[in-house]
Amino acid sequence: MDVLTNLYHGFHTALTLNNIYLCFIGCLWGTIIGVLPGIGPMAGIILLIPATYGLDATSAIIMLAGIYYGAMYGGSTTSILMNIPGESASIVTCFDGYQMTQKGRGGAALFVAAWGSWIGGILSLIGLMILAPSLANFAMKFGPPEMFAVLLIAFVLLGSLGRDSFFKSMPMIFLGLFLGTVGMDQMTGYLRFTHGIRELYDGIGFMPVAMGAMGVGEVLSSTEESLVRIVHRVRLRELLPTRQELRASWGPIFRGSGLGFVIGLLPGSAHVLASFVSYLVEKRVAKNPEEFGTGRIEGVAGPETANNAASGGAMIPFLGMGIPTSPATAVMMFALIIHGIRPGPLFISEQPRIFWGLIASMCIGNVILIILNLPLVGIFVNLLRIPFRVLFPMILLICLVGTYSVNYNTFDLGVLFAFGVLGYVFRKIKFDIAPFVLAMLLGPLVEEALRLSLMRSGGSFSIFWNHRIALTLIISSCLLFLWNIYRGIRPSKATWERALQEGEG
Amino acid sequence: MTRERVGSLIFLFFGIYGLVFSLGIPFGSWKRPGPGVFPLSLSILLSISGILWFIVGKRKGGGEKRTEWRKFIKQFTTSFQIAVATAAFILLLNRVGYLLTSTLYLLVLFLWVCRYRLWAATGLAFCLGVGSWLFFGKLLDVQLPQGLFPL
Repeated sequence: MDVLTNLYHGFHTALTLNNIYLCFIGCLWGTIIGVLPGIGPMAGIILLIPATYGLDATSAIIMLAGIYYGAMYGGSTTSILMNIPGESASIVTCFDGYQMTQKGRGGAALFVAAWGSWIGGILSLIGLMILAPSLANFAMKFGPPEMFAVLLIAFVLLGSLGRDSFFKSMPMIFLGLFLGTVGMDQMTGYLRFTHGIRELYDGIGFMPVAMGAMGVGEVLSSTEESLVRIVHRVRLRELLPTRQELRASWGPIFRGSGLGFVIGLLPGSAHVLASFVSYLVEKRVAKNPEEFGTGRIEGVAGPETANNAASGGAMIPFLGMGIPTSPATAVMMFALIIHGIRPGPLFISEQPRIFWGLIASMCIGNVILIILNLPLVGIFVNLLRIPFRVLFPMILLICLVGTYSVNYNTFDLGVLFAFGVLGYVFRKIKFDIAPFVLAMLLGPLVEEALRLSLMRSGGSFSIFWNHRIALTLIISSCLLFLWNIYRGIRPSKATWERALQEGEG
Repeated sequence: MTRERVGSLIFLFFGIYGLVFSLGIPFGSWKRPGPGVFPLSLSILLSISGILWFIVGKRKGGGEKRTEWRKFIKQFTTSFQIAVATAAFILLLNRVGYLLTSTLYLLVLFLWVCRYRLWAATGLAFCLGVGSWLFFGKLLDVQLPQGLFPL
């Protein structure tokens, strides 16, 4: 009953003309971002942050969240119609989605992808409504040792589940943590690595780093790719799936919702992981798994539902504990901080208007998105005809102005430039930049938690094993860390077979 | 030069930089850890990561062919052009003003990088430059530098 009352107040907040309009703008922009390859949801959110400066925090987060889950809807369009994933989470949709287009069933694939995304979005919202307040209540019992332990396991999970190998992700996390120490130490006021540069006293600045590394870096590497785009047209009457296709998609949609929601709780590339796991599960449970990759509707329904359901799951640690688990939620957290609000265990109880307003707006947003992605899909498909060489200069300009508008300072532009080049270099050498960005944002929290814990215990590390939750999490982190090291250094199956053959010879 | 070695050099650079400068930051004690502990620990981890990746890079690069430098440099031409144009934008922004700088920046990108014809590049740069000025400066009320031509 409490949830229903809060939800009622949430709708009261979200159903104002202004907030509906902003939700629409966010969903529209998110869909465009999802459709256009070369720009991810994080860059899409960053580009619109300057537009939120004149808004209150509730309206700002409503719009930015719309971009986040909107991008998951839009990413399937190019996967299905062009065999080019609009988002990394839609890679799997290419396998069967494009095959369906080749068979003239592209419209049905688009319908099922949108329908599944809608159901996954709504079900994960229900999970968010129930779990986030419970998690926040639980997290209120957390002190510095528990906070340190949670962040430690978050980083180890980020390294394990990220796009890259563990051994590539961990140095990126270390680098992000290190650069997070630049500036004034919060506890003593001591200036670290500032070299007398006044602009560095408050740290390097998350916005120019994120904008540079993820936005500018992504554009620089995208301009090197030349894409030949064959865009298949889809007519409105071709959108409806057959009864058989609808029946076949129900199971994957419900399985994808559950899987996506749970995987969304984990740090790292949750959306990508959710869609891949869903695809593997559908292949495993199917009667004819060899048909996957030839145009099976289950291969579209499950992954697309899962990647959207992961958005709801990812909101739980972000809103319930103040720990963003993906670059997109990290940027949303930054946007809230700009508005003077820091998500954490007290966020839901102290800012119920924002939390429940956001939940209600996500319900509204999911309805807006299904309207945008079905009858209006033809409009978005036409966007793909705009050459990237027209788009990228505008994207760069928006990144520059967006960064400048935070502090009205060209120093931030210099930081953007430097991290844009660094982000580009990391992309070229195939090191994932996302763990670096997340670690930079969360680094100060880790350090503060560790130092406060040691101060409380008088310098003794026993504080960590005297707190059961912290002890459990730290042991889990150590086991996971060791497991990843073992997985990385053990000989592969091929090496064993070769050794056995040589032994027999 | 393998990818792993490039990565290792970046990690080593930050690791050594951190080691050198964090030694001058107070460490405090176990009871009151100072601001130097965390950066020093991370610098050590970065340096170790850098060394390990350098070794991995050396093993992978053992059998590689001689680098064709011209081909290697050519693949970075577009990115280099964009970087130079962006650097010029940043340097000129406060002096010249947003309106002119953004239009010139877009013109350079459309002409030099995208290789549009002069009339197309000029038209696009003008429309998008003025459009962005109106959108950010007037609609979103962002205080853009006036520079030489206050408007």
